[in-house]
Amino acid sequence: MGKRAVLFVSVLLALAMAAPAVHAAGHEILVGHPATLSGSYAKAGEQAVGGVKAAVDWINNTRGGVMVGGEKKMIAYKVYDCESKKESVTSLLERLITTDKVHFTYAPYSSGLTLAGAPVAEKYGVIYMDHGGASDNIFKQGFEYIVQTIGPGSSYHAGTLEMVRKIDPAAKKVALAYEDSEFARSVMDGAEAKAKELGFDVVFKRTYPAKVTDLTPLLSDLKAAGAEIVIGGGHFQDGQLLNQQMADLDINPKLLSLIAAATLPAFGEALGDKAEGVMGPSHWEYGVTYSEAGAKKLGITWIGPSQDEYVALFKKAVGKDMLPDYHAAEASAALLSLVLAIEKVDSLDSDKVRAALGDLTFMSFYGGWDVDDTGKQIGHSMVDVQWQKGERVIIWPEAAQTGAPVYPKPKF
Amino acid sequence: MLFEQLSGNLIQGLVLGMVYGMATMGLSLIFGVLQVVNVGHGAFIMVGAFTALTMFQAMGVPPVLAIPMAFIIGMSLGMLFYYGAVKPLVSPSGIGIRKLSARGKGVIAGSVVGVILLMWLTSGFFKVNIAIYLFLGIVFLYAIALYIYGGRRQDKAAELATLLVTFSVGVILEEVVKQLFTSEARGYNWDIGKIDLGITVLPYTKLLAAMGSLAIAVILYLWFNKTRAGMAMRSVVEDDVGARVCGVNVDWQYALSFSLGIGLTVTSGVLLTMFIPVGINPYMGGPYTLKAFVIAVLGGLASPYGAFFGGVVFGLLENGSYTLFANIPGLEPFAMTRFFSFVMLLVILLIRPTGLLKAK
Repeated sequence: MGKRAVLFVSVLLALAMAAPAVHAAGHEILVGHPATLSGSYAKAGEQAVGGVKAAVDWINNTRGGVMVGGEKKMIAYKVYDCESKKESVTSLLERLITTDKVHFTYAPYSSGLTLAGAPVAEKYGVIYMDHGGASDNIFKQGFEYIVQTIGPGSSYHAGTLEMVRKIDPAAKKVALAYEDSEFARSVMDGAEAKAKELGFDVVFKRTYPAKVTDLTPLLSDLKAAGAEIVIGGGHFQDGQLLNQQMADLDINPKLLSLIAAATLPAFGEALGDKAEGVMGPSHWEYGVTYSEAGAKKLGITWIGPSQDEYVALFKKAVGKDMLPDYHAAEASAALLSLVLAIEKVDSLDSDKVRAALGDLTFMSFYGGWDVDDTGKQIGHSMVDVQWQKGERVIIWPEAAQTGAPVYPKPKF
Repeated sequence: MLFEQLSGNLIQGLVLGMVYGMATMGLSLIFGVLQVVNVGHGAFIMVGAFTALTMFQAMGVPPVLAIPMAFIIGMSLGMLFYYGAVKPLVSPSGIGIRKLSARGKGVIAGSVVGVILLMWLTSGFFKVNIAIYLFLGIVFLYAIALYIYGGRRQDKAAELATLLVTFSVGVILEEVVKQLFTSEARGYNWDIGKIDLGITVLPYTKLLAAMGSLAIAVILYLWFNKTRAGMAMRSVVEDDVGARVCGVNVDWQYALSFSLGIGLTVTSGVLLTMFIPVGINPYMGGPYTLKAFVIAVLGGLASPYGAFFGGVVFGLLENGSYTLFANIPGLEPFAMTRFFSFVMLLVILLIRPTGLLKAK
C-alpha cells in the first residue's frame, strides 16, 4: 500500500495547507486568536472569545462588513485554545500566521501570555491586538506590531484621583497599602505618580506579603498617618481583609479604593455593610453609559453596537445567559478599532493598518480608544465602581456614570 | 508615640496570638500522642470556618454558639479520618482482613462492577449529577480497599507515609468543600460593637475569640491533668507498652486523641473567623498550616498548651516587631517581620531545642 497511501496523504496535506491561503486571498478578513479557553484563565478566555464573536456578528451582519478595495469583506474568526500556556501561545500563533494565513492576530488573555506571543507577531510583522495584558512592561520591549485596548496598569487610579480633585480640592493625604506583587506595584506606582501630579501628598506607601492573614499592624500604622484617601489591594482575598480590618480598627478615610476586589459582586456579599462606599477601578462594567449621542457631543467617531445590543450579541455568541464583563468588552473593542483602521487606509497591509491604528481615536460602548507610539492604550479611562446600598454603581467618569459618587464615604 | 503604637500593636498581637495558639493545639496533640504530623491541618481549620459561616448565614446562629457544633463535626471527622486512613498505618492491630478466598474476591469484584453499572444506568434515569455518583463510587472503592488491605501491619509505617496520608486527606477535604461551596472567598457580618482603648480599637468579636481560645486551653489543661481519661491519654504518650500492660486500651486512646486533635482544630476555625470573618474559601488553610508548624515547634512540639503559649509568643513577636521596623526609614516592615519571626524561632531553638515548654 506504501507509495500510494503516502502520495494520497501528501496531496491531502498540500490541499489542507493551500486551502487557507486561497481563503485568505478571498473575500474574508481573517483574524486569528490563541485564546485561553482552558487552564488558569479559562473564565477570562471564554469572555474574550464571546466578545470577539459578538463583534464579528455585529460587523458582518449589522454593519454589513468592512469596506476594502471597493468591496465589502466579511470577518472570519479563527480561534485555538492555548490552554493558558506560554508554549502553546507561540506555536499556535506560528500556525495561525503561516498555515492559516490570518491577516491579524489577537493576543491571549493576561500580561504574561501576551508578552510570550509578542515576539512571534513581530517576527512575521503581523498586528497583535492586546486585549487582556495590562502590564506597562509589555510596551517597554520595543515591539512594533502590538496594539493595546485594555488600559495599562499605571492608569488604574487616574480617574479616581481626578474625581477627588474635582469634588474635594482640599483633600491632601493619600495612603497606598498594597500586595507585594508585580501587578499591584505597577498600579500603585502609577497612582503615586498621578497623585503627585495632582498635588496630593503620598503620606503612606507600604506593601504586605501575598497570602497575608492579618493586616492589623500595617493598618494601625496607616491610621497614624491620618490619610484621607486610601488606595490599596492586590487580589480578592487581601482586599476583603483590608476592608474588614480597616473597619475593625475604625479607620475612616474619605475614600477607599481597592483593586481587583471591590468591583466583584462577591465582595459586597462577603462584607455586607462594611462595603458601603468602598470603590474600585474597572476597565468596563455593564451599565456604563457611553453612547453614540455622547460621542457626537464630544466630536469623536463612534462605532459599534449600543450596550444593550452588545449584551444581546454577546449572549448569542456564548450561547448562554451570561453578562459580558470587561474581558469581553476589551476583546470586542479591539476588533472595532481594526475595522476603522482598515477602512481608513483601504488596505489589509499590516504596516499601513498599524500606522492607521496609531492615529485612530474613537468611542464605542467600551468607552474611549487611543494609543500612543508604542501601542499602549492612553485613551480609555477606567470606570470607578462604588458600593451604594448593596449595589454596584458606576460613579466615574461622568460620561459613564449611573449614579453620583458618595463622597466622603460613610463611616464603617 | 512609638510607645503608644507599640503597646497598641502588642495588645492586638496578644489577642491574635491566643487564637493562633488555639489553632495549633490540635496539631501538637496529634503529634504528641501518635507521632503523626498532620499536614492537612489547615484544611480542618477551613472546615471550621465554613461551619461558622454556614450556621450564621443559613440559621443565624452566632459563631460563639457554632463552637460546640464545630467540635462535634471535628470529632466525627477525626474518627472517620483515623479509622479510614491513619489507623492502618500507625496501629499494630490494624483493621479489616488481608487474605481473601478466591470466592470472596469474586464476590467483591462482582459487586464493584454491579454497583458501577447500577450507578451508570440510574444516573440517566434519576437525572442525578454524575459527579455525586462518581464521588460515592470512589468512596465505595476506597472502603473496599481499606477492608481488604487495611489489615494488620508488621511494623509501624514510615513517617513519610503518614505525611502523605494527612496531606491527601487535606486535599480531599478542600476539593469536597469546593464542590459544595465553590472557590469563591466568602465572609459574614457579625457586628457586636467594639471597644476603643485609645491606643487601639478591638471589636468584641476579636476579644471573644481570644477569650474562647484561652478557655479551651484551660479546659484542655484541666482535662489532661485532673481527669482519669486525660491521664490515660498521657500514659500512652509516656509509654504505650506500659499503658497497655496497665489495662489502657491504647488503640482507643489513639483514636480518641486523634479525633480530639481534629475537633480542636475545626473549633479553632470558628474562632479564627470571629477574628477575621472574611476570605473564607476552600484553600484558606495553607498559611495557617505553616504558622501552626512554627508555633508548634516554638511551644515544644508535643505539648498542646505549650502550643498555646507558643502562639501568644508568635503573635507578640509578629506584631511587636512590625512597629519597631516601621519606625526605621527605608524598610518594608511587613517583609521584615517574617524575617525577624523566623530568626527568633531559630534563636529560641538554639537555646531550648525542645521548645519553650517541655513535652509532657
